[in-house]
Amino acid sequence: MFRPFGGDVNPSLSLTHAYGPVFMIVGFSLFVACAMFALATLMGPKVKPEDRGEFKDTPYESGSPSSGAQHVKLSVKFYLTAILFVVFDIEAIFLYPWGVLFQRLGWVGLAEMLVFLSVLTVCLVYCWKKGALEWQS
Amino acid sequence: MLLLSPILVLAVGGLIVMLIDAFQEQEGGLAMPTALLHFVAAAAALALWQRGVPSDAGSLVHGWLAIDKTTLFLQATIALGGAFASLLAGGYLAEHKLDRGEYYPLIAFSTAGAGLLVAANDMLMVFVALETMSLGVYAMTGFRRTSARSAEAALKYFLLGSFAAALLLMGAALLYTVTGHTDFPGIAAALQAPSPASGAAADDANAAVLAAQFAIKLKISIFAMLLVLVAMAFKVGAVPFHMWTPDAYEGAPTSTTAYMSVVVKAAAFGALLRVFLTVFGDAANASISGGWPAVLSVLAVLTMSVGNLVALTQTSVKRMLAYSSVAHAGYLLLGVVAAPHATAGIAAKSSVLFYLLGYTVSNAGAMGALILAGRRGAETVSYDDLAGYARRHPAAGFALTLFLLSLTGVPPTVGFFGKFYIIRATLDAGYTNLAIIALINSAVSAYYYLGVLVKMYMREPAPGATRAAPMKSFYVVFSLIVAGVLVVWMGLMPERWLSLAAEASGARPAAAAPAEGANNGGAPTPL
Repeated sequence: MFRPFGGDVNPSLSLTHAYGPVFMIVGFSLFVACAMFALATLMGPKVKPEDRGEFKDTPYESGSPSSGAQHVKLSVKFYLTAILFVVFDIEAIFLYPWGVLFQRLGWVGLAEMLVFLSVLTVCLVYCWKKGALEWQS
Repeated sequence: MLLLSPILVLAVGGLIVMLIDAFQEQEGGLAMPTALLHFVAAAAALALWQRGVPSDAGSLVHGWLAIDKTTLFLQATIALGGAFASLLAGGYLAEHKLDRGEYYPLIAFSTAGAGLLVAANDMLMVFVALETMSLGVYAMTGFRRTSARSAEAALKYFLLGSFAAALLLMGAALLYTVTGHTDFPGIAAALQAPSPASGAAADDANAAVLAAQFAIKLKISIFAMLLVLVAMAFKVGAVPFHMWTPDAYEGAPTSTTAYMSVVVKAAAFGALLRVFLTVFGDAANASISGGWPAVLSVLAVLTMSVGNLVALTQTSVKRMLAYSSVAHAGYLLLGVVAAPHATAGIAAKSSVLFYLLGYTVSNAGAMGALILAGRRGAETVSYDDLAGYARRHPAAGFALTLFLLSLTGVPPTVGFFGKFYIIRATLDAGYTNLAIIALINSAVSAYYYLGVLVKMYMREPAPGATRAAPMKSFYVVFSLIVAGVLVVWMGLMPERWLSLAAEASGARPAAAAPAEGANNGGAPTPL
């Protein structure tokens, strides 16, 4: 049990017991991130403001010259696709626990899942006929 | 399955309407099928009623839903409201070039959600039903996509609605923390004070611990109750949680406004009644001195007064009707306040149910008459638009007059008896002050309702102003006739309808109820 300050703690109630490893990772990440910046600032070559060139002020993009605007406009068409993806993805996720319990749920479970799927199928047919799956138009 | 038939009809029917919409060549023509669907759902609820459902315990569907007579009464009311809204949409959307098919499945699914909400017997079910109902209404509010007002209304309604739903969930979560239950009877049982007589005297220390634990439980549950109350008050549009109402009602297409003001309101009141009478119905929570009736009575006074006073200053009839619907929520809250009363409780509850039914036909009719007065490109919204309308078009003007009189509460219409029963129940329960405030408010409200009549009958439009002329729509005229007949019929023979509402509230032969209530100090009758 991780107990840095000692003391008699009920293990089931102790925050440090449950979250100790997480706290350690958070602390370590913070340390590494701060240390890198600190070391770079302390040990790197000092550049006077008047010596700063175009390249010094450019964001670092893995060595290649940066291109394009920061804000990219995305087509609203992605919205429909994303929504449909979420709907049918959730359906697929819902099938997993049902599949695990399939034997225990028996015929009732099968019927309920068929109802669920048929509702979704109707929705798919609706989306299809309404042209939500068409990229053009 | 059979118990769920009103909801199933709407859900399955909604899917079918959706498919018809997808496969038909031309848009439109879905209003009548959707309205029929709602009528079938209402008929299913009535058939279940006839078949006999126990009025107090109700038939439970796996503990999630309670199908009792209250549920069936409200489901029939809701389905009627949904039918009016679909018919009005058939006229309104076609006239204003909005007639896209997805409106009708949205109505059907929302009504199915509303039907679930009034039957919900579990906090989770309340949430699911509330969202099912609301999501459709949000979309219907923003249905006029090119209008900034409509989009603003939908966004406002959606954001505040989601916030209210989050509060409801927080309340449910807190209740689960202290009681370990999400079902209403379970929560109610866990919130009962431990009885001192049950052998606890033998172990004083243990009893003290239990009592202390229960005190903490009760404190948390009061906080949870407030959260649930706020969520419900938002949905019914009670002051100070009414801020979304005027904008949402005004920005939405008028058929959606009709839907919101009748179906959503009736469903929310149904849920409010059930949650507060079942979950928080025990003596401590429902006491007049310290429980939720005290809080609700403040809300009711605020709601009535603010709704009416702000409605006075409106220049738009649609916005005036929005504030008037806030005011009507206030009158309805009076009935809820009186509902846990030992002797007058059942009368109070049945007066709320009766009022909801009467308000459904009156307000749907008023919205319909307003729709009728507007043509393409010239939607009638302001008082000035209506100047001289009734003199030029007596029949259409009479329709609006009738429904506005009913909303005012003038005797030969149902609105009078709705208010009469609510105020009588409030008086019987001992809230004389509340009844007086309600009467004053009612008098104030006459000013702005009659203001419309003055404009319609006694004023002429300003030179050069567009003259309102009724549109031609079978759907709208049909729904106005149905609503008009109901308004007058229920106004002429209110006892008949009130006895139905009383039966729905679990009224029993006269002798039994008072004796029972007296023992447990003002506990309400179970739903």
